[in-house]
Amino acid sequence: MGFRKENRRHRTASEEIDIPGTLTRQQLFALEQKDKTPARRAWDLCVTLFPAPACAAALLEYGYIPDKYSNAYPWRYVIFLLIPLAVYLCVWIVSRVRCAKGDRTLYEKLLYKAPLYTAIYLFLLLFDVLTLKTGKLMYPFIPWVNDIINAALGDWNMLLKSTLFSLRLLFLGYFWGVGVGLITGIACGYSSRIHYWISPLIKILGPIPVATWLPLIMLLFPSLFSGSVFIIALGTWFSVTIATITGISNIDRAYFDAARILGARERQLVLHVAIPHAMPNILQGMTQGMNSACIALMVAEMLGVEAGLGWYITWAKAWAMYNRMFAAIIVICIIFNGVTRMLDFIRRRALRWQIGVTRT
Amino acid sequence: MSDPLILKLDRVSKHFARVETDGITNALEGINLELHEGEFVSIVGTSGCGKSTLLRLIAGLLRPTTGTLTVNGEPITGPAPDRGMVFQQPTLFPWLTVEKNISFSFRMRHKLKENEAQVSRILDVIKLTAFKDDYPSQLSGGMAQRVALARTLICQPKILLLDEPLGALDAFTRMNMQDEILSSWRTARQLAIMVTHDIDEAIYMGTRVIVMEPHPGRIMGEIPIKLDYPRNRSSSQFVEYRNQILDMLHFGLNEK
Repeated sequence: MGFRKENRRHRTASEEIDIPGTLTRQQLFALEQKDKTPARRAWDLCVTLFPAPACAAALLEYGYIPDKYSNAYPWRYVIFLLIPLAVYLCVWIVSRVRCAKGDRTLYEKLLYKAPLYTAIYLFLLLFDVLTLKTGKLMYPFIPWVNDIINAALGDWNMLLKSTLFSLRLLFLGYFWGVGVGLITGIACGYSSRIHYWISPLIKILGPIPVATWLPLIMLLFPSLFSGSVFIIALGTWFSVTIATITGISNIDRAYFDAARILGARERQLVLHVAIPHAMPNILQGMTQGMNSACIALMVAEMLGVEAGLGWYITWAKAWAMYNRMFAAIIVICIIFNGVTRMLDFIRRRALRWQIGVTRT
Repeated sequence: MSDPLILKLDRVSKHFARVETDGITNALEGINLELHEGEFVSIVGTSGCGKSTLLRLIAGLLRPTTGTLTVNGEPITGPAPDRGMVFQQPTLFPWLTVEKNISFSFRMRHKLKENEAQVSRILDVIKLTAFKDDYPSQLSGGMAQRVALARTLICQPKILLLDEPLGALDAFTRMNMQDEILSSWRTARQLAIMVTHDIDEAIYMGTRVIVMEPHPGRIMGEIPIKLDYPRNRSSSQFVEYRNQILDMLHFGLNEK
């Protein structure tokens, strides 16, 4: 508490450094930051609130400018705009309370994100003007947001089914690819004989885009579903295998020596030295594999498989239901984003040792 | 009590095939040694005299080209925790915390449960309890080497092999660590074999100093150090030992 008072006054860095006793992580960050002038602080506070007027502007524009096309369920867009703002303002209040208690992390985060959120609201405003209000943006190919919302809510059953189908296909292929990729990667990295036999296969198959195989796989596989799983797995397998081989062949022999001296057996060397050491590479390969898996999924669904989001998009387009098409595209965006974030989260957890996190 | 341990090297030689040319390198030739429990043997020599190779042979990381290495008559066939080794680089596993690095050998042998108290005790001894959840990248060189030492000592090795363990440390940390290693050796009284390129260190720590020369690596001679611990680096006997070793390595004043 005493610390906060000190920090409120404008002091030079050298004065602030001699804080008696132990320093918390929070205080350390505060100390290391440059002191801001009161005017700058007031401006920062305004910036964190900018999303609110931006949202209000978008609402006013939506409400007062007359629509050019008929717009069903107009309130849905209003709710769509207001919910994120409400959440944001709640977080903002929490951040101010925490600020008062001396914890500025959340507030700083909001300060960092606020301009982006403001820009998103302004973008929505502009987009609404160009579509619903004037139709300047390639009507009818690009629908307005409320139209997309209506499409998504109207056809939610089908969308959900397609999403679940896509996810099942994606993860089935992905996990097969990762699993087999890990095994081949570790085997190749560990045994030069296996590497001798497998590497030509990798060299030939690897660089070919997975979509190339599609016609052949349609012929060879009993069902399109299993064929698609194979295609998705193939791309993932390639990325994970290459990354794992690299990770394992880069290990300093000294680690193996040290582990053997400490009583590790051959199998344990793989499990406790080779794999953890190759982990950064493996996870990188898994992220890359997910990228190629997503591409393969879309290609497979758009060209052959008669279900899933990719198929939904082509189907909606064929019937000129562009609002449904956009709804599906947005769902894909959300899913692929979520999957990437999940992988990133796993990577950060697994590689804490690599980042060199400071002690708390 | 079991018999006191004897490590015997009988006409041991080690040759390496060269990578670039057809030739072979004679890293070691005709090494005969007998080392006993309770000794602290320092091995000094110019670079390329095979002193590290000798240590790796004893550790079981390398197999001799000819000759035999035996511990109480049993030939050495591979590495084992009772022949612990500390390297010049700490080689701590960067993905494990300090505590997990130290308990690594227990986990490898599935004996962690009964030895958890030991782990925390040794963390206490090396004064790194506060750092037990840190990763090696967050440690200083001296701390990392202390962890490496603890990781080896916790197996209670009958033979402790030290391959220039302090070579990468600064002078102050180095002198501190010398005393730490000595005090642990004096309580455990195992056979310690240390390779070093620092003659003072060899005399300060060893009960006997083995001097080696290169091309091919062989033993030039050995000098028992008859001084009481703790030793005084500037005493006249100490200086005399140093001159004697320098002479053997052809760095002495008499050579000029």
